[in-house]
Amino acid sequence: MNLRLYLQTLRWNQVRLAAVVVASIGWGMLIPIVYVQFAKIFKDLADSGAFPRELLNFGSGSLFTLPGALTLGLQHPLAIAFVGIFAIGSTVGAVAGERESGTLEVLLSRPISRRTLYVTLAASSATLVAIVLLALLGGQLIGVAIQRVTNELDLALMPLVFLNGLMMWGAFAAFGLAASVSFDRHAPALGLTLAYVLINYFLEILGSLWRDADFLQPYSLFHHFNPGKILTGDGDPLDFLILAVAIVIPVAYALWAFPRRDLAAPS
Amino acid sequence: MEAQPNPTPSAVIATDRLTKHYGNVEALVDLTLDVRSGEIFGFLGPNGAGKSTLIRTLLGFLHPTSGSATVLGLDIVADSVEIRRRTGYLPGGISLYDSLSGADALQYFADLQDQGSSLREELCERLQMPASVLRRKVRDYSRGMRQKIGVIQAFQHDPELAILDEPTEGLDPLMQHAFYALLDDQRDKGRSIFFSSHVLSEVERVCNRVAIIRSGHLMALQNVEDLLARRKKKVELRWRGDVAPDFAGVPGLADVKVNGNRMTATLLGDVSGFVRAIASPSLEDLTIEPARLEEAFLEYYAGDEASEEMRG
Repeated sequence: MNLRLYLQTLRWNQVRLAAVVVASIGWGMLIPIVYVQFAKIFKDLADSGAFPRELLNFGSGSLFTLPGALTLGLQHPLAIAFVGIFAIGSTVGAVAGERESGTLEVLLSRPISRRTLYVTLAASSATLVAIVLLALLGGQLIGVAIQRVTNELDLALMPLVFLNGLMMWGAFAAFGLAASVSFDRHAPALGLTLAYVLINYFLEILGSLWRDADFLQPYSLFHHFNPGKILTGDGDPLDFLILAVAIVIPVAYALWAFPRRDLAAPS
Repeated sequence: MEAQPNPTPSAVIATDRLTKHYGNVEALVDLTLDVRSGEIFGFLGPNGAGKSTLIRTLLGFLHPTSGSATVLGLDIVADSVEIRRRTGYLPGGISLYDSLSGADALQYFADLQDQGSSLREELCERLQMPASVLRRKVRDYSRGMRQKIGVIQAFQHDPELAILDEPTEGLDPLMQHAFYALLDDQRDKGRSIFFSSHVLSEVERVCNRVAIIRSGHLMALQNVEDLLARRKKKVELRWRGDVAPDFAGVPGLADVKVNGNRMTATLLGDVSGFVRAIASPSLEDLTIEPARLEEAFLEYYAGDEASEEMRG
């Protein structure tokens, strides 16, 4: 890994990161408030049968329990957008974007191997994703403390939730980076990665809303990010294993393919 | 091809039948040449001839289809990182990070190079990039200023070998001369420079040797002086009175055209025989136009549209 390149990559993202961190903390704080204020209403609504329980779920999350609410907050499109800015946006542009703008040539004329470049970009992406996840979880913990519902949460399990989230977003980031090293232009790498994320998201949400389609959920990486199960002590090691495989495959591909690619002159 | 390259241990660049194909397109074909230590080597050819492909292959951006090459004695495939540590590179039409200031961009490149930046101050002075300009963001720079940053980043760590792709693109004539002086000084220090260009006059001005490439094939590899010596000079002569000097038997004289008391011709080789033949009290004026590299180049590209591009 190249420390100078790593630090510069973080520096280039610092303004964006600061904005996203503030927004993530705010969003995280909001979830426990919503849970405390509306959980009983939603539960009564579900119990009355007036509203299908499935429609009150969101992915693996719900508003019936605090762990479910925290899961909902982490799987909500807003949270996905916050983390996705770095897990998808930054990774996709990391190589293909530099390649398209012509700066990759100047960068690679330094004594940096392509594998070192890849590892450095992967490390900086993981750092950015980790910071946003910490902001989301930190915001949630602040909200939990403000609402005085810490007794409903096993705080010792929060690091596992963080690891679970980091691995899921790490899998998407690894895919984005693999796409980035595979294309000379930003657009196809972004399109492919967005398609990958959206398909995963669609499978998870579809399965949660329509019981007959729930067999599709295990095929979604989002399904293996389940803070609710972890926080209730039911975390499945298989989820971690599947996410690890989803990280290793694109990383191995990128480390194999990137050094072998011809980087023709920018057009 | 007029000269066979003879790679020597002191060659800073040596290619051996280096070939690069893009699918069915032959970008480089069996290219064999050497660049010697301490020389400025010109690599001439129009756009699309294969100049940038060779440079990019030497630096590891492209993988050779066949053949081999070394830079500073290191294999271009196995030792690419070490090659890039010891060289400076100016890409053609350089792109920089717009959000950085000129100073920050140079510092960033120096940090990544990990070889210091001992020449930066001197280079900034020579290329007229004062601190006030370097503080500005690169996005506000003109094309020429970006090119100057490109030149500085290529030389600031005092590399053993500089590889420059169209280095004077965007530089004004004053800066071009400052750049040529910089190259001369680098050569005097024993540094080597590989220099691709389609500007014939600058290659003629600064290079010791030149290779001419056409559609990926090496057409010529010679000393610039030798190349010029083998080109025909244009001569023009005027005399007083009606009696023309006797040109018969002057060695190397050809294409003689006499119009009244004026004669034009081409002259190959030594001028002394010609000067002796025309020496006469009636001689009024004599012009001998030196051979230009352009003539040599156009000869290699005769009938090729590329020659029009070079001429332009």
